[in-house]
Amino acid sequence: MSILTNDEILRYSRHLKLPTFGIEAQRKLKQSKVLLIGAGGLGCPIGLYLAAAGVGSLVLVDDDVVEVHNLQRQVAHNTAAAGTAKVGSLKQRLQELNPHVEISTHDRRLDAEWAMDVVVDCDLVIDGTDNFATRYLTADACYLAKKPLVYGAIYQFEGQVSLFDPTGAGGCYRCLFPEPPAPGQAPSCDEAGVLGVLPGTIGLMMANEAIKHLCKVGDTLAGYLLMYDALTPSMRRLKLSRDSACKLCGDQPSITRAEAPVVVCAVPVPEAPVPEVSVQEAQAAMAEGARFVDVRGPHEYAICHVGGATLLPLPSLDADSVAALQRDQPLVVYCHKGVRSRKATARLQALGFEKVVSMRGGIDAWANEIEPTMARY
Amino acid sequence: MAFVEFTRNLKRFFPDLEPTEVSADTVAALVAALDQRLPKLASYLVDDQGRLRQHVNIFVDEVMVRDRVGLSDPLTPQSKVFIVQALSGG
Repeated sequence: MSILTNDEILRYSRHLKLPTFGIEAQRKLKQSKVLLIGAGGLGCPIGLYLAAAGVGSLVLVDDDVVEVHNLQRQVAHNTAAAGTAKVGSLKQRLQELNPHVEISTHDRRLDAEWAMDVVVDCDLVIDGTDNFATRYLTADACYLAKKPLVYGAIYQFEGQVSLFDPTGAGGCYRCLFPEPPAPGQAPSCDEAGVLGVLPGTIGLMMANEAIKHLCKVGDTLAGYLLMYDALTPSMRRLKLSRDSACKLCGDQPSITRAEAPVVVCAVPVPEAPVPEVSVQEAQAAMAEGARFVDVRGPHEYAICHVGGATLLPLPSLDADSVAALQRDQPLVVYCHKGVRSRKATARLQALGFEKVVSMRGGIDAWANEIEPTMARY
Repeated sequence: MAFVEFTRNLKRFFPDLEPTEVSADTVAALVAALDQRLPKLASYLVDDQGRLRQHVNIFVDEVMVRDRVGLSDPLTPQSKVFIVQALSGG
């Protein structure tokens, strides 16, 4: 059992005085090693509070860099860190907060090559990632390595939290959601936006689960899924159970190795190539009478749009909604960065439009190269 | 009549989705009845053989359904149903 120094006793004294927590729980926390996957919206509050609470060792994994639009919710990063690795930025912040915590970083995405190695080496894993591929890889690796997994996920105003304990009766992540959604059936926060305080709320619930499990204090969410809606506001605690047909933890499991599933979040890129033009070519087409079609959501359109563009959000793009377009007029389709517009272009072609092209790089490239006074996001 | 609610994020695909009452004695019957009100909702929740889609789950009185294949879990007029789907954001 780890011994607390006098400095640590002073630092954690409000824990030590806490009935049912005390010095034994604090020692357990100190001797724990936690793998935190994701240093973004969820990873920042989780990292801050676990470091402050006195977890002995934290391993941070993320391959992303800090961007200015992260700072609305990723509260451990600061403006000066923009452009630098998230794990480096988070480590610096946590080390300033609590020098007693040992912190190591991996500036890379978790992949099947080393997932088991890094998971096996820790006492508890926290999934704070932003994509299904890493979520399923993490869940599989944790179950196979018999490591507890604190799970949390968010979208716009809503969040989910649970703790999957391979030694418990509540089942695993795949008992809840056996496979990732098909392409296009689950959007990303990049596209849909997210309330800034939401990852804070969900992240701290996750940190709480981690601390309770490591310290053996109170009851955890093992066997339950907590749903939180920030707008209502409301919480539900839903009872989970092991699925005997589960591919991972069922009676006849087919998943025996941690391998990343092939998933595409949000809008899939069409298989067949669609005609694309540069923003300069799009500008020239506009001068010759082409119509611009904006396939982003109305909230994005309100932030910025090309003058005169027609708003036709991709989810509603069908035979009825395109009635407003003229088939003999050339169309330039754009979105934020050029992915959704390719899908929309393919759909318009399927609806019989022949003079339609996608604007490469989207309105972000347009703002960068054609209209520098335009807001970017 | 069973009372059914939905995870908020389903509104992205079905903007008119609101909590509602449905007369149904199984979860499968409930899904079929919902589709009468919101076309394409059933095909989002279940596949062409009526099996629950892999990224969706349904809870009856806050307990996960047992039968993902046939959705034979029984409902009573007092049942409260909640439909969720996987989220990836972090």
